[in-house]
Amino acid sequence: MTHSPQDDAATPHVAHIDCEATIRRLWDYLDGRLPEMARAEVEAHLATCAYCPPHFVFARTMQGALAASTPAAADTDEDRLRERVRAALRRLADETR
Amino acid sequence: MRTSSAVAPAFFIPRHGMCPSSHREEASRDGVVTTSTSDFEQLTMPYLADVARFARSLTRDEVRADDLVQDTYLQAMRGWHTFQPGSDPRRWLFTICHHMFLRTIRREARYVDAPEDDPELDSMATAKAHWRAMDAGVADIVDRMDLADAIGRALGTLPEHYRIVVVLIDVEGYSYEDAAEILDVALGTVRSRLFRARRLLQDMLFEYARDAHFEKAR
Repeated sequence: MTHSPQDDAATPHVAHIDCEATIRRLWDYLDGRLPEMARAEVEAHLATCAYCPPHFVFARTMQGALAASTPAAADTDEDRLRERVRAALRRLADETR
Repeated sequence: MRTSSAVAPAFFIPRHGMCPSSHREEASRDGVVTTSTSDFEQLTMPYLADVARFARSLTRDEVRADDLVQDTYLQAMRGWHTFQPGSDPRRWLFTICHHMFLRTIRREARYVDAPEDDPELDSMATAKAHWRAMDAGVADIVDRMDLADAIGRALGTLPEHYRIVVVLIDVEGYSYEDAAEILDVALGTVRSRLFRARRLLQDMLFEYARDAHFEKAR
């Protein structure tokens, strides 16, 4: 199969990036905020690097634990709070009549 | 670029009580125009639990959180005329909640703004700390820990300006742009605080793991 210059134009070359450049993009990559080419560069590096993937895996695990956490919900009595807020709203409405 | 005017500005305090709005006002016997609470409650009350959770994340204290929720709803009702129909009520309430929280802690002089460093350096530091933890076997301990409990404890120790960002984005699932709107800060500030917060969280997880290992070895 021959390789023509037109092919290069159609599929841009993914540049090689080193570990530092990859790690700098860690959170932007995991948050889905990298442009397509930058994301492809990270993925190409991760596919061949022994050093970087564990950092990404751990960071993703930590994000997952954060997403699953509801640290503030534990002791809130919603009905009691709802009544309290409604009472305060009624007082405010009465004061402004 | 920040998005639209869908969310009311955080610093609204009506000068003369509640401003009338064509579809939300009613006249009392003495002719003073006021706001009906029913429309307001119908729109905002479904988000009470969300606001309560956010308030608890901000204050880390049940009593203060309940006070903050009440203040948030009162302030929201005072500013009801500024709510843009069709915009996101939850985000609007979060914006007000954060503003009311800041007002409290600034009054208590507990708020120290964060320096804005290069966020990517925090990514580097995060990875280096993880590498050291792997070398020392600490990362393996974290893998075996009750991560939910550890994350909850770690979140509670984060400085407020970091905790707020990580709660909004990683816990509540808001985008960077939404968080910037709610906090009324630049997108870059959100990013740098978020990266720093995650680095600090990771450091704390490793610290808990080292403590757990030490306790087990004793």
